[in-house]
This record gives sequence, structure tokens and C-alpha cells, in this order.
Amino acid sequence: MGKPKVSTDWMAGCAGCHMSLLDMDERIAKIAELVDLRSSPITDLKVPDAGGVDVGVLEGGVNNTANEEVALRMRSRCKVLVALGDCAVFGGVPAMRNFFTIEESLRRAYIETESTDESGKIPNDPELCVPTKVRAVQEVVPVDVFVPGCPPDADTIFYVLSELAQGRIPDMKGDKLDWH
Amino acid sequence: MVTVTIDGKQIEVSEGTTVLRAAQSAGIDIPTLCDHPHLTPYGGCRLCLVEVEGARTLQPSCTMPVNNNMVVHTDTQKVKDARKFVLTLIFSERNHFCPYCQVSGGDCELQNSAYHEGMTHWPLQPNWQPYPMDASHPYIILENNRCILCRRCVRACGELVGNYTLGFEERGASSLLVADTGLPLGESTCISCGSCVQVCPTGALIDRWSAYRGHDEQAVDTQTICVGCSVGCGIDVFTRDNNLLRIDGNWDAPLNEGVICEIGRFKPMDEKCDRLVTPMIRKNGSLKATTWDEALKVAASELKSHSGDGIAAVISTRQPIEAMSHFKGLFAKALGSDLVTTTEEGAYTESAAKLADSLGKAFEGKLADLQSADGFMVLGTDLVKDHQVAGFFIKRVLGNGPRLLVLDSAENSLDALANKVLKGKKGALEDSLLALSAAVVKLGLAKGKTSIKATDLDALASKAGLKTEEYLDAAFVIAGAQKPVIVYEKGVSPAALNDFAQLVGATLISVKGNANSLAAAQLGLEKPARINSHKALVAALGDDEVSQKMVKDFEKIPFKVVIASASSALTAMADVVLPAANWLEQEGHYLSLDGRLQKANRCLTPAAEVRPTDEILVALAETAGFKLENDWTQELHQRVAVTEIVK
Repeated sequence: MGKPKVSTDWMAGCAGCHMSLLDMDERIAKIAELVDLRSSPITDLKVPDAGGVDVGVLEGGVNNTANEEVALRMRSRCKVLVALGDCAVFGGVPAMRNFFTIEESLRRAYIETESTDESGKIPNDPELCVPTKVRAVQEVVPVDVFVPGCPPDADTIFYVLSELAQGRIPDMKGDKLDWH
Repeated sequence: MVTVTIDGKQIEVSEGTTVLRAAQSAGIDIPTLCDHPHLTPYGGCRLCLVEVEGARTLQPSCTMPVNNNMVVHTDTQKVKDARKFVLTLIFSERNHFCPYCQVSGGDCELQNSAYHEGMTHWPLQPNWQPYPMDASHPYIILENNRCILCRRCVRACGELVGNYTLGFEERGASSLLVADTGLPLGESTCISCGSCVQVCPTGALIDRWSAYRGHDEQAVDTQTICVGCSVGCGIDVFTRDNNLLRIDGNWDAPLNEGVICEIGRFKPMDEKCDRLVTPMIRKNGSLKATTWDEALKVAASELKSHSGDGIAAVISTRQPIEAMSHFKGLFAKALGSDLVTTTEEGAYTESAAKLADSLGKAFEGKLADLQSADGFMVLGTDLVKDHQVAGFFIKRVLGNGPRLLVLDSAENSLDALANKVLKGKKGALEDSLLALSAAVVKLGLAKGKTSIKATDLDALASKAGLKTEEYLDAAFVIAGAQKPVIVYEKGVSPAALNDFAQLVGATLISVKGNANSLAAAQLGLEKPARINSHKALVAALGDDEVSQKMVKDFEKIPFKVVIASASSALTAMADVVLPAANWLEQEGHYLSLDGRLQKANRCLTPAAEVRPTDEILVALAETAGFKLENDWTQELHQRVAVTEIVK
């Protein structure tokens, strides 16, 4: 058996979980020894192999139709899906807009925001994706491993990846469990 | 006693014990959210569900009393699944997103419970219903979106404080924590005691000052006592990097059992004063910073030149006994001053102390008597404004049968809760008391002797300015009780009150004033501060203030030494200013209003040049060439105290 193939992607998040992944310092080399990182938003290849990977990691919640496509593509191409970080697990900060209507959020963002003058308008190009309610990944596709945290500690991410690399499902408890 | 088996462990507990308490007594952990050891069980959160053999469904252990031979299981899969399900429902109800909540990361009982059950995610997502938040209160923020409807705050407000401000409106998921009939908290009847914040298991009620300034595990918790008044409540002072974070009531303090008031909890946070950080002496008309050595030398040599009756010495009753004793030792004994007194001048203690002297024994009871009393008379003191925790003890039992009589010439905040209010003419409280005695005799409720006759009632009542019937009603309230307690402050002589207390079989308690007023009385520091030909003044204020009148009186004294924490009108006119620690920066003993001798501990380190008042006095004595050798533990007992002194 070769090294397990891993792909990561991000959706409605802040990239902080991927930063936390890099924060594991020299242990990243250990991860590179253990797994075959096929694609990620911070490498040249962005899209998981059409032929499938072993582990898919998603950061961020699902807040528009483009995110839906990313989530569905990752789920269809990976065996084990990891929801990484509070946004992927719960919806996180972006989900706070769910307490308002989408129209209210768009108006606030494109018209009422302090840096916008009277010419502000809500984008409506038909090529653009359509904003939706913000959802946790598990509301769109089934998730196998939940790694909460905002962001999860580098130690936790290292533990999760090294367990998955060795064919085990990580047991998230004790100090690994931190919703922040 | 009944026997119950919990997780295979046989436990014997008294009848009526809940399954939860029985389990806790045997060291078996059952997770809970709405339960609180100082509040009556409520059964609201269902996290404490357990399996009881023979019962059809899981049972809430917090409200279920044990039966003999009951067999309980707390860690079966069924119970664990139920806990997870209960938490799932709670999380789905409101905005429980952790990252921006003040209590997330150790201080949230809801989050901790989820970790305990190993929850990595929410099986059900929230329903995104926003609830109102209320930031109208000066100290407290009420965030309904984080509320889990456990009603600990409501129970604390009613059961512990007796204020009944908080309550719930609507039902089910729409339930909303409201103040009064839906007023903003800041405009409600809330008295800002903060007990609700202290019991809240989530971030629904947080205090503005400590919010986002660190978790409990990052803070240092020092147990000490509050010196805000003479009640002497036990408190937990939380500090971080020598900064004051928060003050909580100490649940283990035998008297207040976790309850404190605004003055103890929030006022110290709100303190805005200009701290003195270096000794100063007056040079060419203005105060200049100097060294301790020079300041002490100037003060000592000038004071020594006025020894005899040239020195007026005044110390705050917020100072520990150690400082008071040294103060007396230095100025009364070593320097022979004729005026060594306190900022209170014995106003709250002198006449009571004289009565104790003449009786040769203590005649006042203990605050604990309030908790078992079935009738109260409050006289000449507003326990809602001052000595508030003593007021809580009365307010919280009023709904359970005990009755309250308020006797006052001014408006009293307890009037609205009283069964009877007697508003006599100003200055006629003592006449009212005599009329009340006559009414007690007339009703045949006298338990002791008196020279007052029932036939005196009409004459006494008209002298006091109220109708005869008023006194009969009032007499019934207080004399009808089996264990009445009378709380008083001023406006009536303790001797007259003691006679009345014996007539109705009541316990007397006077509220006294500041944290160490009783100790000052024991040390005999109770003279009126009458300034005549005094040439020098020493005012040891610490973090206390003096009245405008005192400042005016002191103005004419030519040489003034002020030992204080903050600048004030008095320090501005001083010749020597010595920077003193505040109450959190020094330690020492205090004698509460009911005679409990307690130690206040140091919680913060003062600035480099700031010293505790007691140390300053010792240094001043040394500079003046005196050695202070007094034993305050003996001095406390040199005269009979109004109430027995206990440790």
C-alpha cells in the first residue's frame, strides 16, 4: 500500500485553519513523509484527483452555491471526509449572518458599509454563485471526522492527520476537543 | 436514614435527600447545568437524568428524592445517550457559537458539559432565531441568545437576595429572561448585587469589567473579606497580573454563603480615584515628591514637638485592627494626644458600648439570628442601601411567613415589603418605641417586664404623633413572633431598645457603620473630633474619605500629616502626605458588626512607594524614637463588647 492520498480545500472560512496546519512547524515534513498531499488551496494543484483520494479535508462552512460544489466534489472524491475548524463543524463566524436575511446581509455588505458611497450596488451577474444560508459541512454532505476549534491547534491537526495517515480514525477527546 | 445503591455503591443518606446529592456525597459525578448547591432544585435542564431500576423512564436526579433500597445507574449507555441528546437540544435552541463568547475556554458549564460527553459537533444545527440582548445595566450584560433557561439567576435573585427582579416571560423556546415586567435591566428594580452573574452557567449574564480579560484558570483567586461595611462578607478576589478582575461572593463563607452586594462586587471595579504613589512634603507652599526617609523625618520631628495635647489624630474605621492599635499606641500613649479617634467619631457605636459597659455583658445577637427569625423590626436604618447583605437575609424569608415592621422617620426602602410601617415624627423614634411597648402590653403579648402600662398607650401614641391603632397593628407584627430580631442603627438609645427587646423577647443587632467600627469601639476610639487648640493633625484615611465638615475643621490646624491612598481635599492641604495601600493591597484583622474576628488578606501588590497604613505607623513611630509594643488581641477584650467576640 502506498502513502494515503490527502486533499484539502476551503470554503466559507478565513484560511486560519490552513495557517494552523502550517503552524506545526517541522512536523509538516513528517506529515509529508506519511501522506501524499495531492491538492490544497496553498499548493499548485487546487483540485482533488478525479480518481479519488483517501482523506479529504474541508475548512469553512457552506455559504453559497460555489461552496456547495466544492463540498460535493470533495465528498465524491474522498473516502474519509474531515470537517476542519469551527466553521466547517458548526458554521462558525460566517454563520452569524444566518440571524439576518440574505438580503439584509448583502445590503449591509455592498450598500450600507462605511466604505461604500452612493454608487454601491449588490452584484447580480448571472455568472456569480448565489449566496445561501451558511451551513456546517455536515448539513450538505456526510462528515466522518469533526475537528472543532477556531482554529484547531496545530498539535490537534497533526494528531488527526497522523492518525488518518496510519489508517485510524482519530478519537477527539480531552485536550483535542476545544471549540474555542 | 435510607439506603440507596448508586452505580453499585451502597450509600446511606437522610430521607428526602435527592439522588443527585446522594451521588455527590459518595463522590459520584452526575453532570448538571440548572442545579446549584445553594439554590432549590429546579429540574430544568434534564442533563442529570439517571436510570432508576423499576422506573419507566429516565429520572432527573436533582429533583428525585431517594427511596429506601432504590437502585440507580448513572453511566449506562442509555443515560449517556440521553445526556448527549439533552445537550444537542440545548445547543440547537439559541446562539451557542463559542468563539466570541466571554466564558468559552473553561468558564462555561455548557461547553464543559459538551466536552465531558465527548461532543465533537452538534447533531442538530441552531434554528437561527435571534433573541434580544440588554446592555442597559452599568455592570451587567444580559445576552438572551446564550441563555439555556436554567433559571439559576431567577432563583438566586429571589431565594438568595429576596429581590425578585428577574423572571421569565413566554414559554418553551420563546422563554425570555426579563427584569420586572420586561423593563431594561438598567431601569428595573435590580439592585446590582450581581448574584445572577455569579450563578450563570453560560455567558448569558456577564459583567462588563471582567469580560474578555481572562479565564478563571489564568486568574489568582484570593479568599478574603469585604470591607465595604460592617457585615464582613467572605469574598473571592480574582486578580491577573496584579490587576483586579472580578469579585465573587465566597460560597464557603459561613455568614454570607456566596451572596454579596453591589458595594462588595462592583464598586471596587468602578473606583475612579487619583492614587498617591509617592510621599510628599510641602516646600515653599506646594507639595513636592520626596523620599520616605525625609517625609517620615519631617512628620516625626514636627509631631514630637506638639506631643501632649497638641495633636489631633483620626483614623478610618476601614483600617485593620493592627493599624488602629498602632495608631492608638503611637498617638495616645507615646505622644500623649488627648484626641485620638476615628473618622466616625463613635457615632454608631458609642452609646451601645456604654450600655454594654453598664450591663457588664454583651446584649446584641448575631447576624445568623436573622436567618432563623420569624419576625423583624428594622429601626432607623435602610438595609437596602447600606449593610445590604443583612437586608437580603430579611428580604429573602419574608415570603415564607416571617413578618416585618419598619420604624423610621424617613422613607425606608424596606417600607414596600413591610407588614407594617410606623413613620413617626422626626426625632420621635424613642417616643414611638414607648408607645409600641404600651401597645404590646395592651395586647397581652409582653414576654418581659416593663414599667409602661397599657393605659399609657393613648398618651404615648399622641406624643409620638401616630394613631393608637397603628401601634396596636405594629405591636402584633413584632410581639406576635416567637424569635423576633430588631435591627437598628441610630435615632433611638440602645438602652430603650434593649428594654423593648426584652419586653418582646427579641434579639438586638446594630449595624454599626464601617468594616471595623466595632473594633474601634473596643479600642475606645470613639471621641467626637472636636478641634480646639490642636497644632498638628494626623489623619490615617487609607482608602476612606472624610466628611466635608471634618475637612473644614482640620483646615485650621497648622501642621497636617495625611496617610491616604488617593488625593483628596485633605491631602491637598496637607504638609506631609504618605501614600497608603488600599484595602486590597494590605492585610489585617476586622471585627464584623456581630463580633466575628476575620482576617482580610492581601490580594494585590501596591505600587513601589505605597505602603500599608500599619507599616507606615510603625515606621513613623521608629523615626520618632518610639517602639510600639501593643497586643491588639488583648486590647480587643479590654472592655465588654456589645456582642460576643468570636473567631
